[in-house]
Amino acid sequence: MAGVNSPRQGAYTALAYVTLIIISIFCLLPFVWMALASVDSNAQLFLKWPDSWTFDNYIRVFATENGTRWFANSLFTVLSATILVVIISGLGGYALSRSKAWWKQPFLYGILLIRVLPSTALLVPLYKILLTANNGMGSLVRPLAGENYRAIMQMVGFIDGYLGLIIVLATGQLPLALWIMKVFFDGVPKDYEEAAILDGATLVQRIHRVLIPLALPGLAAAGLFAFMSAWGDFLLPLILLSSPELQTLPIGLFRAFLRVNEIDYGLLAAIATIYLIPAVIAFSFARRYLVQTFSGGVKG
Amino acid sequence: MTTPMIQLSGVRKSFGAVGVIQGVDIEVEDGEFSVFVGPSGCGKSTLLRMIAGLESIDGGDLVLNGQRINDVPPDQRGIAMVFQSYALYPHMTVAQNIGFSLDLKKVPKAEIAREVGRVSELLQLSDLLNRRPAELSGGQRQRVAIGRAIIKRPRVILFDEPLSNLDAALRVQMRAELQKLHQELRPTIVYVTHDQVEAMTMATRIVVLNKGRVEQWDTPIELYNNPVNTFVAGFIGSPRMNLVAGHIVGNASTQHFKANAGWMVSMDGRSLAGVVGQQVTLGIRPEDIRPVASAGEADMQASIAIVERLGAETYLNVRNGEDTLLVRAQGDLAMKPGEVVQLAMNHAAFHLFDQSNNVIAA
Ligand SMILES: Nc1ncnc2c1ncn2[C@@H]1O[C@H](COP(=O)(O)OP(=O)(O)OP(=O)(O)O)[C@@H](O)[C@H]1O
Ligand SMILES: [Mg+2]
Repeated sequence: MAGVNSPRQGAYTALAYVTLIIISIFCLLPFVWMALASVDSNAQLFLKWPDSWTFDNYIRVFATENGTRWFANSLFTVLSATILVVIISGLGGYALSRSKAWWKQPFLYGILLIRVLPSTALLVPLYKILLTANNGMGSLVRPLAGENYRAIMQMVGFIDGYLGLIIVLATGQLPLALWIMKVFFDGVPKDYEEAAILDGATLVQRIHRVLIPLALPGLAAAGLFAFMSAWGDFLLPLILLSSPELQTLPIGLFRAFLRVNEIDYGLLAAIATIYLIPAVIAFSFARRYLVQTFSGGVKG
Repeated sequence: MTTPMIQLSGVRKSFGAVGVIQGVDIEVEDGEFSVFVGPSGCGKSTLLRMIAGLESIDGGDLVLNGQRINDVPPDQRGIAMVFQSYALYPHMTVAQNIGFSLDLKKVPKAEIAREVGRVSELLQLSDLLNRRPAELSGGQRQRVAIGRAIIKRPRVILFDEPLSNLDAALRVQMRAELQKLHQELRPTIVYVTHDQVEAMTMATRIVVLNKGRVEQWDTPIELYNNPVNTFVAGFIGSPRMNLVAGHIVGNASTQHFKANAGWMVSMDGRSLAGVVGQQVTLGIRPEDIRPVASAGEADMQASIAIVERLGAETYLNVRNGEDTLLVRAQGDLAMKPGEVVQLAMNHAAFHLFDQSNNVIAA
């Protein structure tokens, strides 16, 4: 195609660029508004240049609001869920890739259902199950805990406790992660493991010294997807958490938005910006591994 | 005779209902270079993997150096293997790849370095020790894979089609290097290939496999000169032996082979009185047929279908009725397709096979 460059084609190219630029502006605008409003001493609903620059909004998020706590809660629950997802999808993906069991295909498509069914539809039964589990855990903890009962239940409870949220978040992310790891291990020849067996590696050594290094790009991709998606989840923490000490960032943002007296756009924009940063960082890491993972297995 | 290094007796293996290895009995002497050949899917890799311990053994005995090892774990057999894909660990350097098995055994770092140095010198890898497999050429990867196998000083090294990923020139070079390595270190080698030239040039003994059974098992030249059945006859030798269907005609004193296509050739010097009238297959290698000038010297005449002039020799693809024969003539012959050629055969080099494709002894 080199050298072919009629005026007509030039016009098409220009049109394509203009369209892309308009779409980009349209997508970027909310972010620009948010970034500007978060440092504006008098932020408004409309996009405008800040009256005067200030970090007041950010300081308020952490000083007057419970920002540090929200951030820590979000990070803790989402990271825990991500670690859980990485471990389970690593082991499970390997098993699903190597197994010849007849139920493998039905199982793989079955778990996709978890992903495609709207989680809102499952909320009531899920809540019911978690409530039962929570009562069970409660009766287990009560005789042991004494006056620390409430504090411990906030850790290991299924309703209004970290454990429940972590497990539910992880469950939501597992199907995709399992698929990613299954497909990834499909691309890792069995020869590597067999070579390691002949080299005298035990099962643990094979996992630790051969399989994990080989699977690292896949695990990173699965983990980052899980992190980004769980980080963005709003509904589950909203339903499952009620104690103010347990609130996560999106819930904090939501509650700040709902306050009756007046809407503080500067504060909201600051919370939202803070909320965005980990996702952006995760994505910039993810990019590197995604290319490697989806352009086909291990090169050696 | 000393005990063989590897001894297989009645070894079997099935995948589901399919019998992939159907009773194999062979022995490999200490220091021997033994080659398994056979067509694709005949079970060569499976048999090799059974010796390595990567595949379970359903029946029979696998004996290594006098000890039955059917149930000994792979890493305790003292056997190393070079994979067709090389299977070099991509996240490790050449030195780490070669030294991995020692590292797993918690051998001190200094000793690992010394051993890696010894092996890499032997394989001319000393300058590449800090590279990763992705930064190596095919031949270099191959050598690393060999290095990883020999560092353990194994009693037996198994190779599964190690040269099939290399181009033709490199393959010839690696073939020579492998032979040199074998002469220097004298390990027992079992080598799988479906390339019969590789088998002929490297093996001290060849095992010809077909459909999970051993067809014949002997030195390369013995297989070449005395194939026991049409399968081995057709498999060993390049270009392949001509196999012509026909029957024996004659009486108690003289017999001829009469091809189904009609031509006849005398079977002088053989006592074939017992098989007169029977369907047989005549085997004759391309180099044992030569074009001659006069019909008087000739055994048959045929028309030329294809001529391949290679300079030092000329391949003629000739037809007589239904039969197609390949002739490998010395020197350059300026012949043309369509010409009729007189052909003489070396009667001493005839192979004759009966209806069940087994050789009829001379
Ligand atoms: N894990 C397995 N499960 C089921 N069948 C198998 C398995 N491995 C091999 N087979 C079958 O066993 C037969 C022998 O396979 P094998 O790999 O030993 O052949 P091969 O002689 O090495 O062939 P090639 O020259 O193509 O490598 C084939 O028909 C193959 O399909
Ligand atoms: Mg094979």
